[in-house]
Formats: sequence, C-alpha cells, structure tokens
Amino acid sequence: MARKMLVDEEMNQTNQEEAHYDFDLFVIGAGSGGVRAARFSANYGAKVGICELPFHPISSEVIGGVGGTCVIRGCVPKKILVYGAAFGSELEDARNYGWELNEKLAFNWKKLLHKKTDEIIRLNGIYKRLLSNAGVKLFEGEGKIVGPNEVEVTQLDGTKLSYSAKHILIATGSRAHRPPIPGQELGITSDEALSLEDLPKHAVVLGGGYIAVEFASIWRGLGANVDLFFRKELPLRGFDDEMRAVVARNLERRGINLHPQTNLTELIKTDNGIKVTTDHGEELIADVVLFATGRLPNSKRLNLEAVGVELDNTGAVKVDEYSRTSIPSVWAVGDVTNRMNLTPVALMEGTCFAKTVFGKEPSKPDYSHVPCAVFSIPPLSVVGLSEEQAIEQANGDVLVFTSTFNPMKNTVSGRQEKTVMKLVVDAETDKVLGASMCGPDAPEIMQGIAVALKCGATKAQFDSTVGIHPSAAEEFVTMRSVSRRITCRGKPKTNL
Amino acid sequence: MATTSFTAPKLSSPTFQTLCRNFPLSLPIPKTLSSFSFHLSPFLSRFHLHHHHYHPPRFHPRRLFAVRAESENGAEPIRHYDFDLFTIGAGSGGVRASRFAANFGASVAVCELPFSTISSETTGGVGGTCVLRGCVPKKLMVYASKYSHEFDESNGFGWKYDTEPKHDWSTLMANKNAELQRLTGIYKNILNKAGVTLIEGRGKIVDPHTVDVDGKLYTASNILISVGGRPFIPDIPGREYAIDSDAALDLPSKPEKVAIVGGGYIALEFAGIFNGLTSEVHVFIRQKRVLRGFDEEIRDFVGEQMALRGIQFHTEESPQAIVKSADGSLSLKTNKGTIEGFSHIMFATGRRPNTKNLGLESVGVKINKNGAIEVDEYSRTTVPSIWAVGDVTDRINLTPVALMEGAALAKTLFQNEPTKPDYRAVPSAVFSQPPIGQVGLTEEQAIKEYGDIDVYTANFRPLKATLSGLPDRVFMKLIVCAKTNKVIGLHMCGEDSAEIAQGFAVAVKAGLTKADFDATVGIHPTSAEEFVTMRSPTRKIRQSSESQGNMGHEAKTAAGV
Repeated sequence: MARKMLVDEEMNQTNQEEAHYDFDLFVIGAGSGGVRAARFSANYGAKVGICELPFHPISSEVIGGVGGTCVIRGCVPKKILVYGAAFGSELEDARNYGWELNEKLAFNWKKLLHKKTDEIIRLNGIYKRLLSNAGVKLFEGEGKIVGPNEVEVTQLDGTKLSYSAKHILIATGSRAHRPPIPGQELGITSDEALSLEDLPKHAVVLGGGYIAVEFASIWRGLGANVDLFFRKELPLRGFDDEMRAVVARNLERRGINLHPQTNLTELIKTDNGIKVTTDHGEELIADVVLFATGRLPNSKRLNLEAVGVELDNTGAVKVDEYSRTSIPSVWAVGDVTNRMNLTPVALMEGTCFAKTVFGKEPSKPDYSHVPCAVFSIPPLSVVGLSEEQAIEQANGDVLVFTSTFNPMKNTVSGRQEKTVMKLVVDAETDKVLGASMCGPDAPEIMQGIAVALKCGATKAQFDSTVGIHPSAAEEFVTMRSVSRRITCRGKPKTNL
Repeated sequence: MATTSFTAPKLSSPTFQTLCRNFPLSLPIPKTLSSFSFHLSPFLSRFHLHHHHYHPPRFHPRRLFAVRAESENGAEPIRHYDFDLFTIGAGSGGVRASRFAANFGASVAVCELPFSTISSETTGGVGGTCVLRGCVPKKLMVYASKYSHEFDESNGFGWKYDTEPKHDWSTLMANKNAELQRLTGIYKNILNKAGVTLIEGRGKIVDPHTVDVDGKLYTASNILISVGGRPFIPDIPGREYAIDSDAALDLPSKPEKVAIVGGGYIALEFAGIFNGLTSEVHVFIRQKRVLRGFDEEIRDFVGEQMALRGIQFHTEESPQAIVKSADGSLSLKTNKGTIEGFSHIMFATGRRPNTKNLGLESVGVKINKNGAIEVDEYSRTTVPSIWAVGDVTDRINLTPVALMEGAALAKTLFQNEPTKPDYRAVPSAVFSQPPIGQVGLTEEQAIKEYGDIDVYTANFRPLKATLSGLPDRVFMKLIVCAKTNKVIGLHMCGEDSAEIAQGFAVAVKAGLTKADFDATVGIHPTSAEEFVTMRSPTRKIRQSSESQGNMGHEAKTAAGV
C-alpha cells in the first residue's frame, strides 16, 4: 500500500512527505456521517482508519459506540419505543372493530427495553462489519487531533496510538445538554430516557423540540402521566405554525398536559420524587424529569483550537460548503458541524465528502427540500417551506391548500383525531413550495412527496396524479380548492 | 375546499370533516362558480355557444334557450329537455360527473336503485360499489382483521394478553353498516347541495334523450351511464351455494372455514380479511401465482408473505362443482380433487359491467364482447348524446379513475373544455396483508416497451419485525429506463405500501429520473426512504447482446429472476 501510494502521489504531486501518511483518511467518530464517509472513501480506494469510543447506550466524553447517536441513542431506539407506545392507542381502537380485550392491558417495560438494547447491539455489530467489509481499520478509543495530519487515539487501557493521515474527518456528533438550573443533576437527557430501568409514572419533560414531543408521546402512550413544559406558545419552533397547533392539540387530546411559555426553575429531591418548580410558581412531583433542551456539538476534547480548527459560538466546527474546516486537511460532517442535524443529512455530507476528496468529483451537500419527521403519536412530517417561510420568501402570492379530515379508521374506532395536510404553492409559478402532514403514516407518506418537491413539481402535476383509494395520502393529490391566498406584503402586485 | 380552521376546531362538525375526507374535490359548500375558477381557469362563459374544432356537446341552458339536439345528421326539431344531464347510477363516477356538471351550471338528475349492502338488478344505493360494496367496507374489514397481526406484533414490544383477544363478528358488522348508512346519507346530501335531483329507481334508456325510471319518463340533452359492475360467478354445479364479494362484506356470522376462488386483488384482500378475523382460509387459483398482471416479483413476494400468515394456497386448481353435505357444510370439487368442510365458498372470479336491461341495444349504444360499453376518449358512446364512465366501460376499474372520468366529462360537456382522462401512471393498491402499492409499468411491461432497463430492488426486514420477531418483510422495486434514466415503474409490498406509493406516483407521473430520486434526502427511519437510497441496480437488462455481456459492475445478481 505504501508503495502504491507513493506511485500515486508521485503522479499527482511531488511533495514527498505525502508518501509517509499512515492513512489517506482518518475519521474520528463512527456514527452515521463518519461510517458513511469512511466506507465510501475506502470504496474509492483510500486507506481509511476510524476511531470510536467503546459502546454503551448512554454516551459521555469517553463512551459512545459504533453506529453513533442514530443507532444507539437516537432514531432507532426512539422509533422502537414509539412503536411500542403506539400499540397502546392502537389496541384501544380495536374494540369498536369487534375485538374483545381485557379492560386493562398489561405492558412489560423491561421486556421492551431489553429487546431494544438487543437490537441496538445487533446494529452496532452490523456497523462494525460494514466497516471491516469495506476495509476500514477500526480503533476503539478516544480520538484527538494533534496536528493538521496527525491523530492520537487513547485506547481503553490508556495506551496511546499515533497515526498520520492525509485527511482527517471529524464526525463526533453531539450530545444532549442540561439547562443550568438548581438540581439539574436530578434530571435526565434523552440518552438515559432511552434506557430507564422503570417506566415513569409521572414524567416531566422540558423542551418544545422534536425530542421533547417524541418522549412525551412515548411515555403517555405507555400510560404515564406527562407534563410538557416549553418556552414558546406552541411546541416545535421552526415548523409550520398551523401544524404546530395540530401537534399541540393532538398531544393534549391524548392526555399530555401542556405548559406553554413555562420554564423550570428548580428541581429538588423529596421522598415522593423530584419536586419540580416552574417560573409560574407551580410545583409538581415527578419520578422522571427529562431535559430535551437542545444538543451541543462534541468538539471539546478534540484539541481543535490547538491545531487551528475554528469553532462557532455554539461550539460547532466551522466548515465550508464542501465540509472543509479552516485547516485544509481537516474536514467535518454531521451534527458536530450543526448544519442540519439529521441522519440522512449526515449521510449526504459523508457521501459528498468522499466524492470530493477521493472521488475526484467536488460535491456540495444540497440542503434544499430536506424532508423530516417528528415521531410524535401521531407523527408529523414536512418537506420544503412552512407557510411562514413561503410568505417570507415568495415574490408573489402564496396559495395554501389544507385538508382536515377524519381518517377512515377512526370512523369505526371512534377516535377523535383529525389528520391535517397542507400544501403551500407559489401562485405565480404553481410550484409546490412546501408540504406538511400530521397524522398516521405521515413520515412514510411524505418521502415520495419529497421527491416531487425536490424536483420542482407543480400543483398541476399533483392534481394530474390519480389517487390511491382509500388512503390518507390521496388527499395530497385531490386538494382542488385553495383554502387561502396570501398576498405578500410590500411587493407590487400590478403595474397600476 | 373551505378552510377547516385549526384554531377553532369545534366549529367543524364531524360530518363536515368526513365530507372533506371523502370528497376532497371541491366541496359543494362554496357553491359559487368562482370557487372553481382557480383551477379550471380560464373559466369560460357557461353560455358559450361558439363552435370548437372538436365538436363539444353544446350546453344549452334550457331555461334560456330553445336548443337543438346534438345530432350527426344536422337539423332536428327544436326540443325542450327536462335536464341538461341525466345520470343513471350514483356511484363514484356518476356522482362526480353530476356534481361537477351542476357546479358548472347544468341542470342535472341522477337515478339510483334503493340501498342495500347486496347489489342486484333492483338494489344498489347512492355511493355505489366503492362506498357500499367495495373500497370502504373492504378497508374497514381490513382494519378490523389487521388487529390479529398487531396483537402478535405487540407481544414483541412488551404487551401482554391474559386472555387471547376474541373477535365479535356482529359488533364489526353493526359498526361497519352504521358507517355505510352514514356515508350513503352524506352522498345524498352532497348531491342535494349541488342542486342535483336524485330519483330513486331503475333507469332505462328509451331513446337518445329519454330515460325511463320505473315508468316515469325524463328527457335530457345528455345521458350518462355510470351503472358500474357486479361480481360474476361462473356457471358451475352448485354455484347457488357460493357467495360473492357483496355477500362476503356482510355475512351474518364469521365463516369458520372459507374457500376463496380467484387470484385477483379481491380474492387476496378477502383472504387477508378472513385470515385476520381467525377463519381458516383456502385460496384456489387457476394459475401458478396470484395477481396476474402485476409485477412478477411482487406476485411471488405477496404470495409467500400471505402463506406465512397462515393462508393456504391451492395453485393451478380450478373449481368444478360445489356440493352441499347433509351437515350443511360445503365441498369444493376441483380438477385436482375435493376439499370438504367449508362453511363458505366465495368466488372472486371477476366482475361484469351492469349493462343488461338498460335499453342500450335498442338505442344503438354499442357494447363489447365483455358487456362493457364502448366509449371514445371523451367517454362518449356510439350514440352522441349518451356517455359512459366508470366500471361499466371497463377501462381501469378504480374509484379514482371513475372520478377522473366523471370530472373530465363534466368539463367536456358543460365547461366547453374537451378533456380526456389521462390513464398514464395511474397508481393502485391491493389491500392484502401485507398490502401492495404500485405505479407505472411492471418489469415485464417495461422490457417490452423500452427494452433496456435497470432494475433496483430491496428486500428487507423492517425495524418493526426485528422487534416483533414475526417473519414480515418488505419488498421494493424501481424500474428505470436505461436510456432516459426515467423511473417508469415503482412497486412495493409491505406495511404502508399504499400510503407510500402515492407521493411517488406524483414523481413518476411527473416523469422524474432515478437521479431525482437519489438527490432526495431520506426520512429516517422509515421504510419509504429505501426508495431514495437504492444505489446499485440489482440487474441491468439490455436487449442487445453486446451490452448484455457488459453487465454493470454494481449488479448484485444476474438477470433473469
């Protein structure tokens, strides 16, 4: 390999030093972005090393695991718990369909937790195999950047390994953070929430983002009392306001106590549980308090400042459009860059990185029309612009099409919960700028819609598509009448 | 559609919500013409009488003008008609055409047989097959039957049942029928609100402009036939003991052991329904595989998955006779032997257009050999003033297609905008368990039409199944034209397939390429994201021998599955 590299390098560049690198690429962090970048780079012929902290469901400075947040402490275990929790209401709905069930259904939290852990251990193994099959060398330990082309891995036994690499990729992700309030050590983050010994009886969730909403749904679905506190009037800041109201209403209807515009000020341990005090002076007793108040990039212990890799004020690694940091040989992808913190985006960034650096094809990740989902119960999924964003960005009028309906399943089950769908359209070009849905199967439904939006589909093209009957999704192609037309402020409509 | 405001949810009545659900196309509540003008612009004068290069049937508001009947021969005596449009049959296509025509300003009547869950020469009901004997009750039964699988799944997620859940058949039937009654009422309301005159009775065509409903004559400038289809049971000894899908949707008690004859979508859907509701299910199919006409790999996959859930398939086995035993049980005699002990034998052996006793032959409306009414691209029959939409024309027998045909006809007739229904890339679903969703061409059709194609497949165990421990899998397939990179076919079998396929249908209909799919970021973790993350073709099929020998390096398996 060394000889081959020498030859390659001689052909490309004359810098003799390049020949001595141990690796073409060394990746710090084997989560979604890091594994993708490592594998694809190896497939392009690069010699790749990757380091990752030892496996554990709960992360810390020194614990992680191949697979990263998504597989071990995020998307996958979360979705498993959502599946488990969704059965609660599903089974209730069975009664009106003629099924005779016990008054109270038994649920075994430990069994679900155990099976969840088995599954993430299995996936952790699959990820390791993916790396070894691609020829990527995996090191277990904490990675640190020592120089622009030098990394150091501290292994479990304390021994340090040092490697040189032509390129270094930082893909260390992020971790949940706790608000600085008295008693914060009594609370937990999403890491612990995915591995609780017992199902909470009364949970308090602080935060209005998707993580807060998802855990509130999980615990409520499994029978816990849940109080959800958030700063704004509605949860899910950044999403379409109308859809935020839909989610809030659904959560409330399913029995979650919403406390908008309320913050927690103190946690105190008592004999009955954790006493939670709010800035409105309320007091509650809970057995679990979850902080879902945001995540911070894992950039602290990487020695970045010393080598000159710049961070922004949130601690995220600053990168250019190709994911290159302020040091040309050091790159970064995924949550540590705090661009759009989603697994598929980290995958896209990792793929583009490998193409750019080893595929001789400079590629920028494209952040337009990235769809996403909130796995609340029922879920929300969106792609493109919210109504508010569309109004802000549009040159002309914006047309809004909405549909609020009782899903067919509810007609017999009697469940009182509407599904809401929305399309936001540019009046002038007829392009669909945004789509949202809150209701069963929304994330599955939205994926195909995302393909259409990504490619600039018009409302006329939606309309010309025949529906699949009876489905919820068909509503997206049968919204014929506009709900409202918004004339954008300050922009001339006519040339009078 | 009127805005259903979220800030004031209590203002929208449940009925109204369901209207939104079931009649997404322009509720009749804002009945002004302007509510249509946005999409159907430029909105032409509804009294537009000018000639067009295509001879649109002219709309003449009877109250304002004495009009000339449309005729190939030119001059006919001036006539006054009772209605601008008389529709026979108030199912999906008929209601859609009637409502839209009325909204465009036409005076419209529609006749329909009295309501019954079982259709016959004398019974039907407003709403038609879809609402009363098809899509809706079928899907409700699918929901009910899916629970047994969900109980099994939930075990893997920590849920426990002290006693095995039992199903009470009569509760389901009562709740289902209450819903159907509600829907037929809503349909009547919708017609009423659109200003369409509803006449209960059997319509029969007397002459090109006259319909007889139980002895009363109505004249109309145009007549629309939208009488749908009905299940067909072949003439074998003992056929009187067999039931069809109408009856199967409304059985008084649970069938203990049921034979289903047929391999089409109706057979598979009912097999799933009865299996889920804990009947013993045997499916008899003439061919080796189910779902003739579907993609071959989907046919294999769905058959395997259904068998795993306990359905017994009897392939290449055709029914010859049904015998009733002394104990009341039924035996099915086939070319391979006799199977005994059935409580019910259901035939899902096709449907036939309801074209008998409509007076069609006497006025000269041509019928093809299957009994379907022959129509041109505008849904016009061989008699210029008579039109037909929906299953009675046996084009693509799906509710949304009948809706499209009905809407196109209303535009053609009453908006001076000749409109052909567009049958390209019509998506469809089979609500088997697991369900199928698809749009575009099958692999076999694609090879025939395009020659060189790339096929991408994924066959995986979904996240839910890894926890439940059940053998459920998902199969997905993309078919791409090698020359243009366009996605020309998309198929899926597995949970949520029907919902997933809809959005992709927009993309396929819009002619998007594989590169467009690849450029789309996935939604994680979903099943659907697999459709935008298929990187390597499973096989490349090339017509020329040269490229056949030059298979892509990425191909996982050889062609010829």
